[in-house]
Amino acid sequence: MGEVEDRKTAVSEARFESLLDTAADGIIVIDEAGRMLAFNKICEALFGYTSEEAIGQNVSLIMPPEFARSHDRFLANYHRTGERRIIGIGREVSGMHRDGTVFPLELSVGEATTAEGRQFIGVLRDLRSRRAVEQRVSQLQAQVVHMTRLSAMDEMGAAMAHELNQPLTALLLYLQAVARQIKAFHADGKPPSDKMLAVLDKAVQEAERASHIVQRMRQMVEKRDPERATVDLREVVNEALDLSEFVAQGATVTIRRVFGMTPIHVDADATQIQQIILNLLRNALEVAKESEERWVKVSIGSDERSAFVSVTDSGPGFSEDVGKSLFRTFSTTKKSGMGLGLAISRAIAQNHGGDLMADPGGNGQGATFTLMLPMHRADGTEDDMRE
Amino acid sequence: MYFIVEDDASVADALESLLSGAGLPVRVFASAEELIHSASLKPEDTMIVDLGLPGMSGSELVRHLEKAGATPRVIAISGKSSRTIARETEGLSDLKILRKPPAADWLEAITA
Ligand SMILES: Nc1ncnc2c1ncn2[C@@H]1O[C@H](COP(=O)(O)OP(=O)(O)O)[C@@H](O)[C@H]1O
Ligand SMILES: [Mg+2]
Repeated sequence: MGEVEDRKTAVSEARFESLLDTAADGIIVIDEAGRMLAFNKICEALFGYTSEEAIGQNVSLIMPPEFARSHDRFLANYHRTGERRIIGIGREVSGMHRDGTVFPLELSVGEATTAEGRQFIGVLRDLRSRRAVEQRVSQLQAQVVHMTRLSAMDEMGAAMAHELNQPLTALLLYLQAVARQIKAFHADGKPPSDKMLAVLDKAVQEAERASHIVQRMRQMVEKRDPERATVDLREVVNEALDLSEFVAQGATVTIRRVFGMTPIHVDADATQIQQIILNLLRNALEVAKESEERWVKVSIGSDERSAFVSVTDSGPGFSEDVGKSLFRTFSTTKKSGMGLGLAISRAIAQNHGGDLMADPGGNGQGATFTLMLPMHRADGTEDDMRE
Repeated sequence: MYFIVEDDASVADALESLLSGAGLPVRVFASAEELIHSASLKPEDTMIVDLGLPGMSGSELVRHLEKAGATPRVIAISGKSSRTIARETEGLSDLKILRKPPAADWLEAITA
């Protein structure tokens, strides 16, 4: 705040003003009582007052009433206690235009001691456009995540019908068998036998198997807000692999799971993490299918700070050229590829404070994709973390 | 004798319950290879075979048995689309098809 301190002496009034007006941000200077001493061009546009109108007035002029009331209290409180609520911190506040429009602002406040007492200089940035962009991006991202889920569903649809068919077939046959026997026993005046009850039990198990499949599919399709929870990464990945075996069914690619014995806790939206694993797995299965050895290896590990899931395949890896645009949206080397899988997966990983990395392999080595997530930080005891 | 060739253990078990519950003699195999390896079928036998077996498929098994001169009555079961079933069973004569999941009583259909 040296400039402000010096403004009376070193910098002429005129120069200070032109400095204010060339600034890209709104700048306001107020005194200890909250009276505005400077109000630059950007502020004129932001709030709809000229600097002549604004200067001399209380800064509450440009605040929504509910903030205006507390601002004087803030100032008084700060003078009394020196407790800083905003100075040097920078935060999001609301401003009010002359016409009553309330809008979000980023405000950082500095403090200067001058001959006339303390002054506060506020730098303001209109957050409306940035907010709109942010909203659009997160909307798009949610849509895209939903879309890949659906296209994964498409592929899985046929396989799923098959998968459901088995328990339903078994269930109906068990019921047909037991219904016949009950009829026969009933005709003979005998009570149902233990054998019939055992068949009924099996029927119930098959019905459960069917509904479990439906539940898991539903989890994948339903669009919902990210739900962070502390989860064991091994379980989350396991479930995704089980699910993808629908897709891989009948295929000859072996999926090897290399998991440790101890739980690996991360704070994550399990469904989104599964989305990443499914994307990586789909890519890996596609190339492994065409390779000689036909395997995909999924391993999980961790160090103190991070957890890792690596997906390696027996494919040929990828070239340096492909590597450059791998994570870009719509970058694909496949005829019917969307080129979204990796882009979305990385976005999700980064949203979780992690990342997605690629090792190109080559020379007989397949590619390795590694998902990195921050480990859950244990505040209490490690053991009762999970329900 | 009724021979069941079905890789899904629950479906095979349920089918066995249905047939043996009606007092019919049943043998169950999880694959075509297993059946070829350990059983010989006679014309009076009935084979209930899943078309979508891993390894040698159901229709390949039927062709194999026809070539070997053993032609039991064949009932094919499948959960696939009718088009796929038609393609897979092309050229096979005398074949009853039951689709999964069952829409009617399978014991009646099998013993009819
Ligand atoms: N396991 C892998 N081995 C070799 N190349 C891969 C692998 N995974 C992804 N790629 C490359 O990255 C590209 C982008 O992948 P992705 O974003 O999932 O989109 P898509 O699968 O629709 O092409 C793929 O087209 C492929 O060229
Ligand atoms: Mg992909």
